[in-house]
Amino acid sequence: MTTESTYRQYAIEEYVVTTEPYYEPVSDEIELFKAAYAEKIPVLLKGPTGCGKTRFVEYMAFMLGRPVTVTREADGVVQGEESGMPLVTVACHEDLTASDLVGRYLLEGDSTRWVDGPLTRAVKTGAICYLDEIVEARKDTTVLVHPLTDHRRLLPIEKLGQIVEARDGFVLVISYNPGYQSALKDLKHSTRQRFMAIEFGYPPRDLELKIIAHEAGVSDAVANDLAKLGEKVRHLKEHGLAEGVSTRLLIYAGKLIHEGISARRACQVAVTWALTDDADVQRSIEEVVSSIFE
Amino acid sequence: MTERTRIYSSYEKQLTPFSTSLVAEFRRTADAVGELMTDDELRQWADEGLELAKQSWRSWEAAGEYYRVTPQILPLLGNDGFQRWAKHGRELAELSSALAASFFRASPGTLPAVGPARMGDWMGLGRLLYKGTWRSASLAVQFFDGSPHLFDKLTIDEARVLVRFVDALCDRSYDLASHCLTIAPQALDPLEGDDRAAFLIFAEALASTGWADARSYLEKGPALLAHVQGVQRGRFLELARELARREGRQAFSFFAEAARALAQVDHETHGLLLSLAEDLVERSPLAAMEFLKTASTALDRIPVDTIADWHSVGSDLLDQSVDGGEAYFRMESSRGEQVLEALSSRVELSRVADILRMYGKALTGFDVAVHSSEALAEKGIGWVEGDAPSTEGSAIFLPPHVEEFTEKEQNFGVYKVYCTHQAGHLEFGTFEFLFEREGTIFPNLRFDAEKQRPAIAPTAPPIDSDGHVDAPGEATIPLHEPLTDMERFFDLFPDRKLASDLFAIVEDARIDVLIGQEYGGIRRPYGERQGRELDRRPVVDQLPLRQAFVENLVRASLGGLDRIVWPEQLLGLMADAVGVLETLRQPQATVEDSAEATLRMYRIANEIPNVAPELMDDWMQMEEDNLNVSPMTAESMGQDASAEMPQGEPMPYESPQPVDFRGEFKPETVQMLMKLRQQRNEQGQASPISPEQLRQMLEKSVEITLADMAEADLTQSSELFLANLIKELSQQQDQKPGQQKPMPLKDGQPVTGLSTEDDEHALPVEPKYFFYDEWDFRAGDYRPRWCRIVEYPVAEGTEEYYDQTLVKYASLVGQTRRQFELLRPEMYRKIKRLLDGEELDFDAVTDYAVERRARVTPNDKIYWRRNKIERDVSVAFLLDMSASTDEEIAKHERRYQQDDFDDDPRRYFSWWMARRAQELLMPPKRIIDVEKESIVLLIKALETIGDAYGIYGFSGYGRDNVEFYVVKDLEEGFSDHVKRRIDKIAPVRSTRMGPAIRHATTKLQAHDSKVRILFLVSDGRPQDHGYGRDRTEKEYAIHDTHQALMEAKRMGIVPFCLTVDRYGHDYLKQMCQDIGYEVVPDIESLPSRITTLYRQLTA
Repeated sequence: MTTESTYRQYAIEEYVVTTEPYYEPVSDEIELFKAAYAEKIPVLLKGPTGCGKTRFVEYMAFMLGRPVTVTREADGVVQGEESGMPLVTVACHEDLTASDLVGRYLLEGDSTRWVDGPLTRAVKTGAICYLDEIVEARKDTTVLVHPLTDHRRLLPIEKLGQIVEARDGFVLVISYNPGYQSALKDLKHSTRQRFMAIEFGYPPRDLELKIIAHEAGVSDAVANDLAKLGEKVRHLKEHGLAEGVSTRLLIYAGKLIHEGISARRACQVAVTWALTDDADVQRSIEEVVSSIFE
Repeated sequence: MTERTRIYSSYEKQLTPFSTSLVAEFRRTADAVGELMTDDELRQWADEGLELAKQSWRSWEAAGEYYRVTPQILPLLGNDGFQRWAKHGRELAELSSALAASFFRASPGTLPAVGPARMGDWMGLGRLLYKGTWRSASLAVQFFDGSPHLFDKLTIDEARVLVRFVDALCDRSYDLASHCLTIAPQALDPLEGDDRAAFLIFAEALASTGWADARSYLEKGPALLAHVQGVQRGRFLELARELARREGRQAFSFFAEAARALAQVDHETHGLLLSLAEDLVERSPLAAMEFLKTASTALDRIPVDTIADWHSVGSDLLDQSVDGGEAYFRMESSRGEQVLEALSSRVELSRVADILRMYGKALTGFDVAVHSSEALAEKGIGWVEGDAPSTEGSAIFLPPHVEEFTEKEQNFGVYKVYCTHQAGHLEFGTFEFLFEREGTIFPNLRFDAEKQRPAIAPTAPPIDSDGHVDAPGEATIPLHEPLTDMERFFDLFPDRKLASDLFAIVEDARIDVLIGQEYGGIRRPYGERQGRELDRRPVVDQLPLRQAFVENLVRASLGGLDRIVWPEQLLGLMADAVGVLETLRQPQATVEDSAEATLRMYRIANEIPNVAPELMDDWMQMEEDNLNVSPMTAESMGQDASAEMPQGEPMPYESPQPVDFRGEFKPETVQMLMKLRQQRNEQGQASPISPEQLRQMLEKSVEITLADMAEADLTQSSELFLANLIKELSQQQDQKPGQQKPMPLKDGQPVTGLSTEDDEHALPVEPKYFFYDEWDFRAGDYRPRWCRIVEYPVAEGTEEYYDQTLVKYASLVGQTRRQFELLRPEMYRKIKRLLDGEELDFDAVTDYAVERRARVTPNDKIYWRRNKIERDVSVAFLLDMSASTDEEIAKHERRYQQDDFDDDPRRYFSWWMARRAQELLMPPKRIIDVEKESIVLLIKALETIGDAYGIYGFSGYGRDNVEFYVVKDLEEGFSDHVKRRIDKIAPVRSTRMGPAIRHATTKLQAHDSKVRILFLVSDGRPQDHGYGRDRTEKEYAIHDTHQALMEAKRMGIVPFCLTVDRYGHDYLKQMCQDIGYEVVPDIESLPSRITTLYRQLTA
């Protein structure tokens, strides 16, 4: 009987970072993270989208001397070949349940088989577990991490009747964007107060210039103009824009320019249209773009 | 006794019985003309008169006239003609002797103009007016009597039309006809040639349709017609006539309005406009007239050569729907507006203000507002130009529209350059000038200058190092310290105006350079603007020398070094000054550097006498090379003016012609305003500036010319100025209360709405305005910005009403609450049979196993999970507060009771008394009362369930005053204020539902909920002034309301209509197609019904 469907096969996407991820520290976040890791303090990364939170975690995973394995939410993790420190990233969404994190039974032939969820795997292997956009997850799910984040460092697996003790390397990192969530989706205090928080902002113009130039491979002049555009457009936050333009988008624009797309067009598709659907705001941003770029 | 004497006496004898005066007339005429006639002819003549006299009992009067005018007529007509004339007279006499008499009487005056040949026609016109009644007779008499005057002006053919017109009026009113006949000669006088006939032909058409307007037409028409280009008048009248023929009544008002509208446009275009109108008239004369009426508005926005395009779109529309086309040309359709907008190259500030505001905000990072310069000029705080860009430190002011180019894009470009330059002032810190701060380029000369300043300066005393103010020598009024750093800086210069101009030049140049450096993309349009400005500069070598110097600096600042024209022998000075300007063109230049540059330039300029240009004979165009510009920073510069200065009488110095895109620049005033604002924000009180200080500043400053602001003496204007200033400042503060003071708290809750801080003296209610389109179902298009919603909060009464109602309905309240509590959903619901979930579902797994064994394809959905179900409902209740809700509910039943009295007045009276007493004790319940009670119950229920809700009422009168009352806004929390407002809900006026629904929709739209409900409670059909073609039309209102409900539905809102009008089914069926509605026939049951309905709607 081969009636099993392909989606039961748990396709695993896995890559190992062999080269150092590019990261420009804005202030002392690297030292802070290292200290937290050493002292097993869970970390909360706050900041707007696309300002480098995920890159920072990747960088830290690398810096802490291990190769990294990233999986998607709800997919199992197969450990990297080397005994490195995996980074388990889970993008949280509003239907994320406890079993999505901890694990569940699967039906296999006439019997069932328990499969660990990403969190369990991270706990068992001592990985960095990165829960992206934690506030999106259901509140009952977020509570699950509580025993992991205090001195106990335990993960109870209720369905198996087990308690897993976290391995030494394990650390929980969560991120959240205080900008756009409504009051309803705010992080519970009982959760918040288990983490040390590192705040991320958009990098200042000269630093952002460097990042864009490096990531997109454009000249410093173009990178400067893009960084300038970023600065100007961010002035519009709360005035037509819910969120300022992210460094990521500016890099996209830079990459497009690098590929030979005209600067105005590149900014239009990578910045203006990506940011908003409001025609007036689009027009305003386009005017800023056409003021900066020829 | 001769034969003649015999004839005479015989006739005299026969005439005597009629009247002695008749005899006298006969005799007088006979004596005069007797010589010219043979005896036979004489007899015939005399017999004629006799016959006339015999005709009726007063016909002797006609005979008298006949005899009397004979001496004049006979030579005029000759014998034959005379015979015919007499015959006409007799014909008339057969109808009425008065007619005949007036005919004869008017003949001498009229016939020379009419001519013998058309005599019969003339008589015929008079006879036409006679209908056998005395009124018609008197009109005809009036016609004949007025004829000499009339035919002085008119030809007989024109008169024929006039008579037909008057005749047509007779059917309506003889008074009117008579009046028109009287004024006709004067009225028609200004018209010439063919116009007159055309004018009268339209008059005739008008008489049969819009007779009431005939008089105004005759009185005002010619003057109106004069608006139309001479050769086109005929065509215009032709159009008007077509309109009158087909549309009737409103012809005259259309005629008048179209004529006035045509007066607004160039006469040369009338021909074109009329041709276009003629193209429409076949299909709809109304559309043709509307086209003429709105053409002037359209031409304000689009060039003449595109009006045909605008017209042709409308014309196509007219083919599809007459109403649609007419609305298009009336400019009451969105389509018309769109087409016009597309054709127009003009850019209106109102349309782009938002874009520019965000653009400015992005550039500067400040919350800059963008307003029309007119608004700034109106404030009376120093700015006078209504169309020059400027800034006062917190907002950017731009001209109301730009139509310099034929392309919209280019015109917008103009705005962009304007806005960028003004934003540049804010971004690059023009107004953050600090006297004490060093520049980055020039060494500081300011402090030295301040120390060296001559004591005679009419300004504030110098301040020494420890800030002590030296008392001025002989000053009578105590001089104050300068208010701002800018003022302190300008105090350095004896010629403040020159210094101010120079500072403007260098600062604007600095901003332009910085913008060029920071914004590569705008460099080209910016450069183009500068080029255009350069082309517009006045001729240099006709300006007095110092002004020429300043003018050259303006040119240099615009990048026009090659446009400098300057006497060769003074080349050194110019080169020095330009050198300073060029030195400033560095990215690190600050406003303090501009100040230093000003100081240096001022010294040079001061050397140059403002003498007539003719004194110099070596003006030459400079090349950049021979100007030999080198960066100048030396302090000694300008000191060694070796050149010989021309000698001559200096002229008063005048400022250079302004540069358009740089606009008005008033750094001193702006700094003062900013300072005041800052102080105000910090201290939260009226500005500490004294009128005296202000007056001194005004006297000194060259930026504010008080004479421009008000025609009053200085003290008065400065007081006015101060008042304006304070007003301006407090307005700005009111606009951003959130930023300046914390939200007032009440019972630990932030209090929103208007009744915030203290209730003792209520703040004046500032209504908010919103505009909405309205659906014209005939045109099949929206009328753009047709209705104006005025939003007010409801006044507050007492809380008692709310509490009493709850007590009254205690049992119902309890019941509803229990029902609503049941609605409260479980937070999580178990959902079975999913592909993926928390755990395996045993039932499903069992099935799966069984199916597999049975070799059936098993169902993979074997998991279950808990899903969170949140109740996320927001609802807006929209209450009809129209006057009809004032109606008592019991009235209906009472009418039946009245039949029981069997006409017994005593029984009726006692019943009536009893009822009165009861009413006084307990006033009868009105529909609005039930509505209010329902709201109270709903609030109670909604608070239980936690849905977001808003309660609004609407009423109003006319499209520009749709009142929208806020009892509780969606965002607002339930509070005692809401309770008190409910008390004050009262019937107001009409019911224009469409805009109210649209406004409520907008409010709901802003509220992010899964389920959004618009609950409309009304007592009847929608109706309002102008909500339909006329008072009785109901279709329009229903269609618009339906459209508004559909709009809501399209936006994902669930509209629901509840009416207490028991006959509501008729129109609700149409109004609420595809939309839920319910009729509650028993009004008293509304409170329980409304809660039930709401529950069902959201369950």
